[in-house]
Amino acid sequence: MIEIINLHKKFGDLEVLKGVNLTVASGEVVCIIGPSGSGKSTVLRCINRLETPTSGTVIVDGHDIMNPRTDINYVRTEAGMVFQQFNLFPHMSVLDNVILGPVKVRKMPRAEAEHLGYDLLAKVGLGSKAQAYPEQLSGGQKQRVAIARALALQPKVILFDEPTSALDPELVGEVLEVMKKLAAEGMTMIVVTHEMGFAREVADRVIFIDEGVIQEANSPQEFFSNPQNPRLRDFLGKIVGTCQEM
Amino acid sequence: MAFQFEPSVVVDTLPMLMRGVWYTIYLTVGGLFFGFLLGVATGLMKLARPFLVRKLADLYVELVRGTPMLVQAMFLYYGVPMAVGLRIPPLIAGVIVIAINSGAYIAEIVRGAIQSINVGQTEAGRSIGLTRAQTMRYIIWPQAFKRMIPPLGNQFIISLKDTSLLMVIGVGELLRTGQEIVAVNFRAFEVYMAVAMVYLVMTMSIAKALKILENRLINKTSGKRA
Repeated sequence: MIEIINLHKKFGDLEVLKGVNLTVASGEVVCIIGPSGSGKSTVLRCINRLETPTSGTVIVDGHDIMNPRTDINYVRTEAGMVFQQFNLFPHMSVLDNVILGPVKVRKMPRAEAEHLGYDLLAKVGLGSKAQAYPEQLSGGQKQRVAIARALALQPKVILFDEPTSALDPELVGEVLEVMKKLAAEGMTMIVVTHEMGFAREVADRVIFIDEGVIQEANSPQEFFSNPQNPRLRDFLGKIVGTCQEM
Repeated sequence: MAFQFEPSVVVDTLPMLMRGVWYTIYLTVGGLFFGFLLGVATGLMKLARPFLVRKLADLYVELVRGTPMLVQAMFLYYGVPMAVGLRIPPLIAGVIVIAINSGAYIAEIVRGAIQSINVGQTEAGRSIGLTRAQTMRYIIWPQAFKRMIPPLGNQFIISLKDTSLLMVIGVGELLRTGQEIVAVNFRAFEVYMAVAMVYLVMTMSIAKALKILENRLINKTSGKRA
């Protein structure tokens, strides 16, 4: 489904990614963890080319994102994204946020798109908020709308960029519940997160990125109970106090 | 003989100024209409990717901002016809001057408002497959436009007042009409007071209209219908 090949990314003189290779199969849930500044969000943002890789490439469902003939806008409809800061469109109702992609990109008739929009909002538990505006919602509700917006294009994969990091602690659960439901339905997901409990419970594979490369990739059981890489052991040691519930 | 203020002259002058008021409105509305189009185009050019397009927009803004409007008007009306051998009617020349002048300032307002929108909005738009142009049209522009309204209001008021400078190229706008009345009755105090009052009414109308527009747009996004 997704193949990241020898991905390098420099910002000026700073080399953030130093050759990342990763293959994600259809239906797989991969969680990416790592210290801040390690490049984990950059990997995610290179997949739909919000950041242009310095070298290397990503193949998304057969489309090479660095090939000049690839229609990147099409690839982006196949790879939905959910942002840490939600990035809902504040001047549109919740429903319009969700159906903008289907209507403008897929040219779906409005009535049909609204039907789809209501279904998706019901799915994330916000069927009654369709006519509300983003500023009237809590952070958790905003992020669930953002997930519905990403789902509206029926993507083959969804990229989650720290989806719960900007939320008040009591609102994290409702967003993770929606994500678990998606995972159970077989959605391919790549999740950059600090939620170790989620990674352990839902992920098929957990990846540790540090210093611009993948330091360790393993099943959640092995990853958390038997970490090999000394940096990962150090990292898990530092955060163990903050995730006792796992 | 001591000066004696005659309020009745102010009252009598007001209807005589109406012809000038129409010219002033014509210059302001016409000039700002084209100035807004020019400003939006230039503002977008300043944010475009090609270097040359950006530089061209910068050059235009610098030229206009760096020279007095009075000089621009006299150059266009007296200077340019000597070079191209074609005389522009004063009213048309006046509209062009207001358009070119306000366009440069509006360009900066447009650029600033667009740049003030969080980059996450663009990323979210692009991430659902919208093109650059669609992202601008459906996501960035509506939000940026709301932020443009207060500075645009200022510019509209400045441009309205600047139309008075166009009396030097012979446009019979409000100030020139007043001057002609003074030439007949010598009541400069009362006549120019009346002229000032008319300008004040017009600028306050603009400010009020924009305030109403702004409130409507704000109410819309908080889900409360105006």
